[in-house]
Amino acid sequence: MSFLAGISVFCFAASYSVVLLLEAVRMFYWRGLRQGVTIGFAAAGLLAQTLYLANRAITASGTPLSSAFDWNLLGAWGLVVVYLYLSWYHPKTSIGLFLLPLVLGLIALAEFASREPFPQSHAGQIWGTIHGIFLLLGLMAVTVGFMAGMMYLLQSYRLKHKLPAATGPRLPSLEWLERVNSRAILISVLMVGVGFASGIVLNMVSHRIKIDEVPWTDPVIWSTAAMFGWLLAAAVFSAVYRPARSGRKVAYLTVVSFAFLAVTLGVRMLLPSEHGSQRSESGELPMSEVRT
Amino acid sequence: MKLQMVGCSHHNASLEVRERLAFSPDQVATALEQWRISYPLTEAVLLSTCNRVELYTAAEDLAIAPSYQQIKQFLAEFHGLPLQQVFDDLFEQSGEAAVRHLFTVAASLDSMVLGESQILAQVKQAYQLAAQQDSLGPITHDAFQRALRVAKRVAAETSINDKRVSIASVAVSGFARNVFERFDDKQILVIGAGETAEEVLVYLREAGAQHITVINRNEDSAAKLARHYDGNAANWSELDAKLTAADLVVSATGATQPVVTIQRFQSLEPKRYQRPLFILDLAVPRDFDPAIGDCLGVYLYSLDDLQEVCSRNRAARDKELPLALGIVEEETNQFMQELYHRATGPIIRQLRQGWHGVRDEELRRLFNKLPELDALARQEISQAFERYVNKLLHPPLESLRDESRTGTPHSLLEALKRLFRLEE
Repeated sequence: MSFLAGISVFCFAASYSVVLLLEAVRMFYWRGLRQGVTIGFAAAGLLAQTLYLANRAITASGTPLSSAFDWNLLGAWGLVVVYLYLSWYHPKTSIGLFLLPLVLGLIALAEFASREPFPQSHAGQIWGTIHGIFLLLGLMAVTVGFMAGMMYLLQSYRLKHKLPAATGPRLPSLEWLERVNSRAILISVLMVGVGFASGIVLNMVSHRIKIDEVPWTDPVIWSTAAMFGWLLAAAVFSAVYRPARSGRKVAYLTVVSFAFLAVTLGVRMLLPSEHGSQRSESGELPMSEVRT
Repeated sequence: MKLQMVGCSHHNASLEVRERLAFSPDQVATALEQWRISYPLTEAVLLSTCNRVELYTAAEDLAIAPSYQQIKQFLAEFHGLPLQQVFDDLFEQSGEAAVRHLFTVAASLDSMVLGESQILAQVKQAYQLAAQQDSLGPITHDAFQRALRVAKRVAAETSINDKRVSIASVAVSGFARNVFERFDDKQILVIGAGETAEEVLVYLREAGAQHITVINRNEDSAAKLARHYDGNAANWSELDAKLTAADLVVSATGATQPVVTIQRFQSLEPKRYQRPLFILDLAVPRDFDPAIGDCLGVYLYSLDDLQEVCSRNRAARDKELPLALGIVEEETNQFMQELYHRATGPIIRQLRQGWHGVRDEELRRLFNKLPELDALARQEISQAFERYVNKLLHPPLESLRDESRTGTPHSLLEALKRLFRLEE
C-alpha cells in the first residue's frame, strides 16, 4: 500500500490541467489531438484521485472522508466523472473547457480547507452523512448547471451573430444545454433542500436543541439557506412562468445559482463559523474551534 | 490477382446515362446473382447511387478475370441497352488505381458535394449486399473494409466533413443542428414551395424532421410539395397560427415585400413564450424583417449570412483536401503492399512446409538413434532445429516482402519455385 501514500493532490491536479490544456488546444488544432488522449489523461487523473481518496479513507482515524478538504475533493471527483461521461457521449464538444476549471477550482479550494474531520456524535453520524452527501450532490448539480448555462449563453451568442460552429470551442446544441440547465435546477433544489434540512436535524440531534435554537446567524448556515432559497425560487419561477422554462432565462438562473454557491463556499472559507464544530455541553463553542 | 472497376459517375456521364445504368437494391441483388453464374470464380461488389454506378470485380487468378469489355457488356445487358450506347460513358480502372478510386469515393472526396456523409452508408450497403449475395471474396472484402476505415480516418483527422458548401447543408448542419438536438419532434414550417425550400427540406428530412407544414399562396404547389415529404399543406390565412407553433421556419417565397414584418411577429411573440425559433430566410428580397432577428430566442439567417459561411467553408475545405488525399494515398499504398504480399502466400506456405518437413524427418531420425535422451534434451534439440530452420527461411522471406512493396514479385516467385522445386 506504500504506493498509495505516494499519490498526491498534485498528481491528479496536474492530469486535469493537462486535459484542460488539451481541450483548449483542440479548439485550434483538433486533427492531431484524438479524443482518446484527452480521455486517457482525465481517466488517469480520476484513477489517481480515487486511489488518493481511498488511501485517506483507509488511513483515517475517525469517520473516513469527513473533513472539508475531503468533501471538496469528493465534489471535484464527481465532476470529473460527469466530465468523462459527457465527453464520451459528446466527443466533439469542448465540455472540459467549461467544467475542468471548476474541478481545478474545487481542488484549489480543498487545499485551503481544513483537513480536520468534522466532530460527530454517534447520534449525528447518520444525519451528518445524509447532510454531507446531499450537499455534495447539490454542489455538483449547481456546478454542472453553471457549465451548461455558460455554454448556452456562448452558443446562443454565436448563433445570434451567425458565427459558424468551427469558430471557437465546439458546443452542444441549445436544446441539449437547455435540458441540462432545467434538470440541474430541479436536481440542485432537491439535493440542497434535503442537505439543508438534514443539516438542521443534525444540529438538533447533535446538540440536543430545538429548531428555534439552531444558530441561523452562523454565516455558513445563512449563506446555505440563501442558496437554497434562491434555488427554490428559481425552480418555482421556472414552473409557473412559462418563458423561464426555455431559452436564455434558464441559463441565467443556473449562472446566478452558481454565484450563490460561490458565496456559500467563500463564506465558509473566510468568515468565522461554528458550523461543523463541536459545541460544549452548554451549547457554547470553544474558542479553539472557531475558524477564521 | 486482379482488382478492377468499371463504372460511370457524375464526372463523366450525364444524369440521363446514370439513370439508365442505375440499380435499385433489388436489381443489385439480381445483378450479383447473375454475375456469379457468369463468372463463378470472381468476386463482385456493385455500388449504385444517384451520382455513380460502379462495379468492382476481383479474381485471384489473372487468367479468369473478366476483361473490361466483358464487364461493360454485363452492365449494358442487364439494363437491356446496346453496349455502344453506354460504352464511352463507362470508365475503367484496375489495381492500385481502382483501390485509390474506391477509397476516394468512400471518403466522399469524389462526391458532388465534397464531404457529404451519405456515400459512406451507400458503400457500406453495397458491401453488405455483396456479402448477402455471396459475391464478396477475400480481395473485395479487404478492399471495402479498408475503404470504410479510410472514410473514418478522413472524417476523424480532417474537418472536411464539417465544411459544408451548399446553402441548404450549411443551414441545417452548420446552424440548425446547433439549435436543435433532434428534429423528429420539431414543427417545421415551409413558406413557399419553390426549389430552394425543397432543397432544405431534403436535408431536414435526412436529419429526421417529421412534422412538416408547407404554406404557400398557391395551395396546389404547397399540397404537391407537402405530399412529396409526407407533410401537410396549410392555407395562407393560417400563417400566424403556424408561425406560433413552429420551431423551424424555411421561407423562400417570391414576394416583393416582407411577408412577416416585425409588428406582425411581435403580435405572435406572447403566444410563443420565448421558445427558440430558427428561421431560414432564403428569399430575395427577404421574407422576414431583419429586426425579427433581435427578438428573444429567434435565430434568423438570411441568404447572405449563409452564403458568407459557404464561401469560408469552401476556402477551408480546399486547405483540407490535400490532407485527406494524403490519407487516401497512404492507405492505398499500404493496402497494395498487403495485396501484393498476399500473392506470395502460397509460395511461402510451401517453402515453410517443405523445410519443416525436413526438420521433422531429421529429428525423428536423431531421436531414434539416441533413445537415451530425456524429454528436456529432446525439447532443447527440437527448439534448436526450429530456430535453425527459421533463420534459414528469414532472408528469402524478407526479400519477398521487400519485393512486394512495389508489385507482385513474379520473377522472384518464379526463381524460388525453380530453386526449391515448388509446385503451383
